[in-house]
Amino acid sequence: MLGPLQHIDFPMRRYRDTEEIDYLIVGCGSGGGVLLQRLARAGFKVVALEAGPFWDTERDWVSDESGSHKLYWEDLRITGGTDPLAFGANNSGKGVGGGSVHWAAFTPRFHPSDFEVYTRDGLGADWPFSYETLRPYYEQLELEMPVAGPAYFPWGHPHGYPYGPHPMGGVGNALIKGCTALGIPVSIGGPVAILSGSRADRPHCIYRGFCIQGCKVGAKASTLVTHVPDAIANGGEVREYSMAHRIELGRDGRVTGVHYFDRDGASWFQRAKAVIVAGYAIETPRLLLNSACPGHENGLANSSDTVGRYLMAQAGNVVLGRFDQPVRMYKAPPAHALTEEFYETDPRNDFARGFAIQTVGPLPIAFGKQMVSAKRAWGWGLRREMMDYNHWASFGLLGEILPWADNRVTLSEERDQFGIRAPHISFNLHDNDHRLIKAAKNKTMEVMQAAGATEVIQEARYAHLVGAARMGKDPRTSVVDKFGRTHDIANLFVCDGSILPTQGSANPGLTIQALAARTADYLIAQGDTVFNSNRRDMNEPPMSRELAPSDTWGHGVPRVK
Amino acid sequence: MTKKPKSSRRLPLDIDPSLLPCKAGSGEAILPSEQPGYYPGYSNLSQQAFWDKATRDLINDRVNNVPRIRHFSAESALFWRVVFEHVLPQSDRIPERRIPLVERLDERLHNKRGVGYRYEKMPPDREAYRLAEIAINEESQSRFNAHFIDLPHLQQDIVLQAIHDGKPSAAKAIWKQMSIGRFWLLLMQDAIEAYYAHPWAWDEIGFGGPAYPRAYTRLERGEPEPWEVEEQRYDWDAPRYSVSDSTESTHHLHTESRQNEFLPDESQ
Amino acid sequence: MTDSIPQILHPVNELKSLENRIREGRFQRSLALLTAATSIFSGLEVAYEHYRGSYSRRVMYTPVILSGVLAAAGVAAFFSRRAARTVLRLAAAVTLVDAGVGFYFHVRGIQRKPGGWRLPMTNMIMGPPIFAPLLFGTSAYLGLIASYLQREDANDIERGDRSGDDTWLARLLPPREGRELLSEEQDIREGAFQRQVAIITGISALLSGFEAYYSHYKNNFRYAVQWTPIAIAPLLAAASFAAIRSRRIATTALPAISAVAAADSAIGFYYHARGVLRRPGGTKHLIYNIIYGPPIFAPLLFGAAGMLGILASLLRRRRP
Repeated sequence: MLGPLQHIDFPMRRYRDTEEIDYLIVGCGSGGGVLLQRLARAGFKVVALEAGPFWDTERDWVSDESGSHKLYWEDLRITGGTDPLAFGANNSGKGVGGGSVHWAAFTPRFHPSDFEVYTRDGLGADWPFSYETLRPYYEQLELEMPVAGPAYFPWGHPHGYPYGPHPMGGVGNALIKGCTALGIPVSIGGPVAILSGSRADRPHCIYRGFCIQGCKVGAKASTLVTHVPDAIANGGEVREYSMAHRIELGRDGRVTGVHYFDRDGASWFQRAKAVIVAGYAIETPRLLLNSACPGHENGLANSSDTVGRYLMAQAGNVVLGRFDQPVRMYKAPPAHALTEEFYETDPRNDFARGFAIQTVGPLPIAFGKQMVSAKRAWGWGLRREMMDYNHWASFGLLGEILPWADNRVTLSEERDQFGIRAPHISFNLHDNDHRLIKAAKNKTMEVMQAAGATEVIQEARYAHLVGAARMGKDPRTSVVDKFGRTHDIANLFVCDGSILPTQGSANPGLTIQALAARTADYLIAQGDTVFNSNRRDMNEPPMSRELAPSDTWGHGVPRVK
Repeated sequence: MTKKPKSSRRLPLDIDPSLLPCKAGSGEAILPSEQPGYYPGYSNLSQQAFWDKATRDLINDRVNNVPRIRHFSAESALFWRVVFEHVLPQSDRIPERRIPLVERLDERLHNKRGVGYRYEKMPPDREAYRLAEIAINEESQSRFNAHFIDLPHLQQDIVLQAIHDGKPSAAKAIWKQMSIGRFWLLLMQDAIEAYYAHPWAWDEIGFGGPAYPRAYTRLERGEPEPWEVEEQRYDWDAPRYSVSDSTESTHHLHTESRQNEFLPDESQ
Repeated sequence: MTDSIPQILHPVNELKSLENRIREGRFQRSLALLTAATSIFSGLEVAYEHYRGSYSRRVMYTPVILSGVLAAAGVAAFFSRRAARTVLRLAAAVTLVDAGVGFYFHVRGIQRKPGGWRLPMTNMIMGPPIFAPLLFGTSAYLGLIASYLQREDANDIERGDRSGDDTWLARLLPPREGRELLSEEQDIREGAFQRQVAIITGISALLSGFEAYYSHYKNNFRYAVQWTPIAIAPLLAAASFAAIRSRRIATTALPAISAVAAADSAIGFYYHARGVLRRPGGTKHLIYNIIYGPPIFAPLLFGAAGMLGILASLLRRRRP
């Protein structure tokens, strides 16, 4: 069902709409996939609505840049503000596995400092818990994906990885050369959620560089191959082509289910005892806002007027360097080496927080667009630059942009193909962000120069999306509590990147999945109380490692924890 | 694929040598060929036995089936065809090896396929192309007193360069409701999406192409795989009648909107 | 008696006596020690090679553990004749079986890569190294041989001592094969197993030559010197197989080509080490570069084939 080597050879359970299930998850991506797997294994009746298809990777995916658009969320979104964000292929997935299908799979952890940015720097926000709370979940998800990387990763809370590092491509070698010349430590061969050794029915990486186009090999972790099969084996249901458009609120102030459109545009309603929204940083606030109803005129769970606010993207400027010798950067996964040496606030800087430098490997179409922005190339100039494609290497910086209230998702007057109001996104950089990006860009260019590039250019862009339904202790300034439960409605949860209060300069995928596993543990520990009481138990749940997918154990190297 | 020896080919009578790239220094025109670029003899399509079926079907469809024009009127289709001859020129390719561009754009607009977002400073894509056609014609009128497609090649290049530079001298009303920088990016993206999605373009730039199930073994130092070709560089100059061969680094602009919307960089 | 001391110290005499000991199968202690040394090298090699494969199966730990056990057994056998006949033999036999198991898993691993055996070159290069487990078995083979030899200082009584023979195993086999086994063991004990070592030399040369071929192919034969093991390996194999028939070749061409192979492996070791240091990050990221650079110990495995060839040339042939 999934591909030539991975099979789901058991029938999927199908619940009827009229049946009241336990948990209805909206979105089967990074967060939703992990949640579905845990809740199904714990014996709950659980369904995930997914707007896109359930992939057959061998049939549906191609080893081609322009043929992979169906992996991306390409429904209408209006983007604005002084610094409008790009969506689609850049950061938004569609179909089972969601963004984890087309992520580059860098999976660094957040640093302990990320959980207390406000306390330390007086900017941004604090998390409602510390790094130590999430740490066991990081360790667990690194096993479940699993994550390949060095035996010792020195930044943040130092740790090692359960799978060995990957070999280098030309871009990784350039990063190592540049960093070494400048005395900057560098993490080689990870951390990435790509298999460096085969595991169960997943072969290891074949170094073809099409990560962002979906990994047909099955080496790159996506919840489609890591968690969803186990969920289905344990009675979970994934309902494909189901576009949720409104959460129904009952008279008792508790949600009763979700209205959704099927692929033909017919509307359905699935009843559920509790609803978990896992639609990522644009679709989650959009659904909450679109679910406005009497008593919740500003949208569900939005008494704080925080839904849609504090949206974050990371600065993702790409620095390209031309080398006299060929590089052929399309080989090897785009993600294979990074440095987090500049991650933390440095008092010598004129800005708070920091950035990371990572390898990226644009394929020709992406590279061509970079040449348009970075060199203003067109016509013969563009043809000429493109003929030199094999001589370029590229680094991506990942710069922390702080959460600001005016960076937000609202509803546009325009409507998408279903007639649902489309989201409008406004994004504006603030002073700290500007200073940080400039410094990060200059440092990354310096590293590229040190690597031996004879020409260094830069394309400004953004990467990742988080925030817009943030968690916090104070119901007046946040949407959900530390377990992802909305402050306003006791049986409505959010479990995806949108609950992150800050984002560090680490790729958010691992953190999103770790948070999902923790929310699952909480829900499992609560048993039936979520279904029939409005009581909030704020005690940390016990960790249930035994609910991990069955092939989690028995692989990998001993590691530093 | 059979290749005719280059020397036996004559310059087609309808091609003006000043529209062809030429050898650096001597200025001698380089005759149109099947495959320009530094990787002679390299062919992605010859490797398709090593691709998976889904990819093979898709790429062969892309090469063999060119969609017919359904969205644009004949006049607009011709207009954009001429524009694409400037923003992504192919006069160095023999006609039967040119990559269809306007057909791909037309197909996208016909199917109303977006890329997942639209800038608030931009109308929907169909409208953007409609407005831009008017604006480019007004620019031609204001500069050279003629419709764009009636202009000589070099003057067409100059009109488009004004759009590229974000310095139009006409159609201010249109560029007020539509960001000129964002439109330029849209146009270039559509051109690049069509051209560099084609296996002939991959041959030209030495890209490895589809890589599943067979992938790469030589990851480092830019070594070619056994079926890839070593680079054989040659120096060339852009055609005499063109202004598009100069580039300008924007590395000092640290945000996306400054790079692409010509916003003043007040923070410098 | 009085002039015996200077005689022993004389290098030519010393060599002569070593040669005699080998001819008569009296080199158990040295071979046990050699087993320990090669086992340590191949253990290190397999440890990091399997680290590259992330120890994604628990069975990947077995060769690492076994090479440690075999090395310890080799050292024990150096000190104790009893250990040589029991612990070393057992450890070597188990390691040999493990090499076979490893070969199976490596073949299967290649088959299970995308494209499987339809893309043999790609998948052999990028998958598990197909013959590495068999080459890993070389040290086990040396250990097994050592366990049947005599001690260096063996006297005539000891030479007739058959207590170390696997008579129980011989009894388990059909009578003919049982007798064959015991006589083979006796031949080994008396140093009359030239043909056997020649066969192993030939196989080992072919396997490591092939490994060198595809890993240098992966590297696009950037240096002409990368062709040398590929040129020498078939010669060594040919000499070894010819030595099975011809006693002359066993004492002329075989040792000569073996010596060339051993020298080439030293050159290879130098270039591989240099290659590691020349990688981006050089000594700053030494461990990573050792793991992902040219395999440092791989040329030594090729050299091991050469050493086996030299050993073969010194042994006696089986009694007619």
